[in-house]
Amino acid sequence: MKIIVPIKQVPETSAVRMDEATGTIVREGAKAIVNPLDLYAIETALMIKEAQGARVTALTMGPPSAINALKEAVAMGCDDALLLTDKRFAGADTWSTSYVLACAIRKLGIPDLVICGERATDGDTGQVGPGVAGWLGLPVLSYIAGVELPEGGRMRVRRMVEDGYEVLETPLPALLTVVKEVANPRLPTLRGKQRAKKLEIPVWKPEDIDAEVVNLGLKGSPTRVVKIHRPKVGRACEKLPAGDAAALDAASRKLAAVIVGTGVL
Amino acid sequence: MARTYAPITAEIVAELRAIVGDKYVIFGDDERLEPFSHDEVADPAYATMPECVVRPETAEQIAAVMKLANARGFAVTPRGAGSGLSGGAVPAFKGVVLATDRLNRVIDYDRDNMTITLEPGVVTNEVNGIVAKDGLFYAGYPMSMETCYIGGNVAENAGGGKAVKYGVTGRYVIGLEVVTPQGEILNLGGKLLKDVAGYNLISLMTGSEGTLGIFTKITLRLMPLPRAAVDLLALFPTTTEAIAAVPKLMMVGGVIPTAIEFMDKTSVKAACAYLNESIPYEKAGAMLLITCDGASEQQVETEYEAIGELCLKHGAFEVYVADNATTSERIWRIRRNIPEAFKVQSPKQSVEDIVVPSASIPRMVEGIEAIMAKYDVSIPCYGHAGDGNLHATPVANPKWSDAEWKAKLKEILAEIYVLTRALGGSISGEHGIGHKRRAVMERYYDPVFLEAMRAIKKALDPNLVLNPGKIFDVG
Repeated sequence: MKIIVPIKQVPETSAVRMDEATGTIVREGAKAIVNPLDLYAIETALMIKEAQGARVTALTMGPPSAINALKEAVAMGCDDALLLTDKRFAGADTWSTSYVLACAIRKLGIPDLVICGERATDGDTGQVGPGVAGWLGLPVLSYIAGVELPEGGRMRVRRMVEDGYEVLETPLPALLTVVKEVANPRLPTLRGKQRAKKLEIPVWKPEDIDAEVVNLGLKGSPTRVVKIHRPKVGRACEKLPAGDAAALDAASRKLAAVIVGTGVL
Repeated sequence: MARTYAPITAEIVAELRAIVGDKYVIFGDDERLEPFSHDEVADPAYATMPECVVRPETAEQIAAVMKLANARGFAVTPRGAGSGLSGGAVPAFKGVVLATDRLNRVIDYDRDNMTITLEPGVVTNEVNGIVAKDGLFYAGYPMSMETCYIGGNVAENAGGGKAVKYGVTGRYVIGLEVVTPQGEILNLGGKLLKDVAGYNLISLMTGSEGTLGIFTKITLRLMPLPRAAVDLLALFPTTTEAIAAVPKLMMVGGVIPTAIEFMDKTSVKAACAYLNESIPYEKAGAMLLITCDGASEQQVETEYEAIGELCLKHGAFEVYVADNATTSERIWRIRRNIPEAFKVQSPKQSVEDIVVPSASIPRMVEGIEAIMAKYDVSIPCYGHAGDGNLHATPVANPKWSDAEWKAKLKEILAEIYVLTRALGGSISGEHGIGHKRRAVMERYYDPVFLEAMRAIKKALDPNLVLNPGKIFDVG
């Protein structure tokens, strides 16, 4: 069994500062970590590996420093890792990112399972996982909250929907995006860290994955972030004085009208 | 001690109102007075309702309150955030609780001298938020850091998780403004790293548990912020193996780790259940949480690898590594929430704070295990193994009645204290004596030492109005 886990390196949320002028994240000096939601994808893969054996590969596209995210994945128990880094990849939107990841997965050989986190804590779109499935023509099962072990080329999963869960069965290969409920991520171990330190992680460029250059990076991205801004939270406050019984009555009526008027009730 | 204090009359309340302002005096409203009747000690028997609470804003107001207390003969108990664990902020003789929450300003942050001067009501955790951008940090790290005030930290000479390497609060206090029990304003030290002119009253005031003065300004020495830090969580099959590893981990590679924390299985289990955390503790009889920090990632990596290898060599069956703030917080949260987790389980427990020379910890833990067997009681242990400070926490056997629990706890604690003293230890490493351990202090400490403290107390507070009933019996 082969499992590929695409992950992303993101700024540590506790250290995130916003540039108020441009509305973008200040990445300088902020420590980078594995996208916290991707840890659940790694854990799901490692659980399957422990139960029935599997080769788990972590994959990321990012700057050269993203190798640290891959090392963390290896320290947790992934068998190997692959870094996609090149100036031409930079500035990719979710369409271009999923294209690149799909090219790399195709080059590695379509595995039995691709497992992604639900979304990244920085971009917050949740589009890359399903996008990869789209490029590869794999069935996509999103918002997975529980998995059963694959058996006979099929797999059963529990999918979180608005008012409950769906139990779905899919043929493999397939792509899952998992939510927090699916598993509890393990911590990296000392032995894992030592293995990760020694492991030579291959670095691939567009040529290595047969990617068409027109689809890459900012130039190849059909979407643009035009503006990021903080929503203004309006908390208008009105005091209703109720000094005596008569005033209390009037104030209560006014309050009731406000509640009904705003549609709270 | 049958000392009596003047009750707080309407007249006194009027005088207090004149000093601090109407709004800042609480009187005759039990619901609002109740929060000031206790700290974080679980047993309600240690709580006492104050008659009145005042919330002054300046040193001058505090001085005026103290002068009034001496003139009228009422007791004053100073209070910080109320996160103490020995009853230091509890008004044992009723009277007035003097809350320092309104003195919460940062007076002076001096980057060049690496100092910060604060009022006592500043939340300790905020200090690092202010100074981190300049590559500095305050090395005091009490476990209640999110809530406690710096004033309380200095009053108790708080220790905490990083004391192995960085020492306790007192190491960083270089200047104080103190309102004396008689209402004088006393200035001590400043921004000096060396100063031998006269008695070291800063050291005397630090850890005086609010019995010798009320701090109104505190100057702390700051340190260069370590550029890298890594935490290890080492899982051992048994308590004995975990504890035996501690002395071997000190000074690996010529460096003392920042923290070596110990947690037994019962403690980890309680905290994990409380936090809904799922680290695999089932097979582990005990865990060590070890922090290394330093000037570079490479240095810290060499250090943690050496320490991790030693853990594995001395019986650990797994060592987890946390090298980013998210994972690190996941581990430390478990350690920090143990007392709270036990507290929600039952008030019938007593958080102890014994400290022994660090090489004696294995013998202390063995002794506690024997006491558990003898009394058929659970005494989960956690704490700062690196500096010998263990929070052994006897928890009532559910079969016992309240009366049985009280009687047995007395015997259990007596055995723990006798063993502690025999090993050259002390009954409190960082929580303080307060009124919770006052009787024990009298019993297990040298009368000459106690007499010297009485003489100091009487000299500074002849009318014994400031925080009476704490640490020792003044006689």
